[in-house]
Amino acid sequence: MKNSSLFILWVVFLLFSQKVISQQAVTKSINIGVIEYPPHITFQGSKIEGKLIKYISSVFTKEGYDIEITQLPRGRAIVELQKGNIELLLPYDELHEEIKVLTSPLFHAMPGLCFRKENFIPILSATHQFKHLTVGAPVGTPVVSALKNSQAVLVPLIGDNSIKRGIDLTQRGRIDAFYHPSPVQVYHQENTEFKELACSYFHGYSNGVYVAVKPNMSQENFDKLNRLLNSAIHEMSYGYYFAK
Amino acid sequence: MKKNTSQFYRIIPFLFCLVTFASQANLSFEKIILNEITKMYMSSMTFIFLNQPLINQKGGNKEALFGDKFIDNIKATYQQKHNEEFPLLDHKLKQLLVQSMVEVMEDNKMLFNDEDIGFKGIIPAIFAAQLSAKLATKGIGLKIKFTRTKEDIRNVLNIPDQWESKVMAKIIEKPEIYYDEQAIINDKPAYRQFTPLPMAPYCLKCHGSMEHNPLNAGKDKEEWTNIDMTGFEMENWTLNDFGGGVSISIEKSVLE
Repeated sequence: MKNSSLFILWVVFLLFSQKVISQQAVTKSINIGVIEYPPHITFQGSKIEGKLIKYISSVFTKEGYDIEITQLPRGRAIVELQKGNIELLLPYDELHEEIKVLTSPLFHAMPGLCFRKENFIPILSATHQFKHLTVGAPVGTPVVSALKNSQAVLVPLIGDNSIKRGIDLTQRGRIDAFYHPSPVQVYHQENTEFKELACSYFHGYSNGVYVAVKPNMSQENFDKLNRLLNSAIHEMSYGYYFAK
Repeated sequence: MKKNTSQFYRIIPFLFCLVTFASQANLSFEKIILNEITKMYMSSMTFIFLNQPLINQKGGNKEALFGDKFIDNIKATYQQKHNEEFPLLDHKLKQLLVQSMVEVMEDNKMLFNDEDIGFKGIIPAIFAAQLSAKLATKGIGLKIKFTRTKEDIRNVLNIPDQWESKVMAKIIEKPEIYYDEQAIINDKPAYRQFTPLPMAPYCLKCHGSMEHNPLNAGKDKEEWTNIDMTGFEMENWTLNDFGGGVSISIEKSVLE
């Protein structure tokens, strides 16, 4: 009698532990919110493209994760992340203390200036050439010291889409150039609307672009995802993957 | 600034090859890595110099400047310049240097392919500065910089640190490769090396006097400008002046 009770208990234990194991397997899925960040991530209607998606997907899928990608507008993306509706958000380039990120930057965004092509200045360390230039800078965007300390006249670009305004004003000759925290987002080969302007960069002033993490992610999950990304970047950086 | 001590600078590349080529077997592992990385860096600058017409041409096929083809070209330049095989990419630092070169060229791809812009501004010194900045973002304990004496520097990001200033003062008096295995960088023990570079005729296009300035070619003297094609005032240097050099540091922990 005692032996049969022990056997039943053993069977119950096995069934229970299997259920726990299978539940853990089910939790290996990640919902990643993505915002448009050309040329790394582009939206064609509901279609999401870009090498950054492929890179991140391969990092996690080869470890057995199911990936679900959710296309989000920039403004709503952070709200969704903070609510926990998405687990990761990429790319994320506005570092705030309250937003947790995976520790390795995916790549670095270089700030720069965009000019009408006939007024193009290729080397921005030649800051004496900024003398008397009127440069538009989006309100709330930190400007690199090389520009701030130059003799350029900085004018604020206001409005919901200050970058678009910068492009318009520069193209119409109302300002000489506009400052962009990451001009590669507009000055790239897929952007056919950017024919009259060209951008150059403030090398040495780049900022990390990260994967942001939902606030209530368990430390265990965070560590695991962090380890996976670190080791992928160690094997081949995203920058090199993009260039290859 | 004139330092007429240095007819000697012209034989530095020869000395450099001689030292690294003939006595490689006697060099420590650390020194070999420092030498190889320095030469890889210098070879990339040479390739950029040799390919200014391709870089600045409007249109055409520029595949030689990107990806694996670019690295193949750096390898060929290295072999030609140093008369030895390109180093095996058997250490993470060498792999990352090569990958960073490809990344820098990719960063400039749109500009290189912009058919409306002639002079792209990617001259050897600028490429070197971009490569240094790229490596700095990697956080791998390798720093490499093309620098010169503080008062002559054009880009604030290339300003020499105390060690480099001290070493350059010695090198100007006695030109030679300077190696330091007891250096400290960012409070960490490091190997450092400074390799002086001779002033070459192409340096004078920007740093020489007005007659060297390609912007003045075919113009009357009265119309000459002392502003070079990069937008800086020319320094009136000659081939006898100090040409700066490549400063490299590697944290010891990276090589252990």
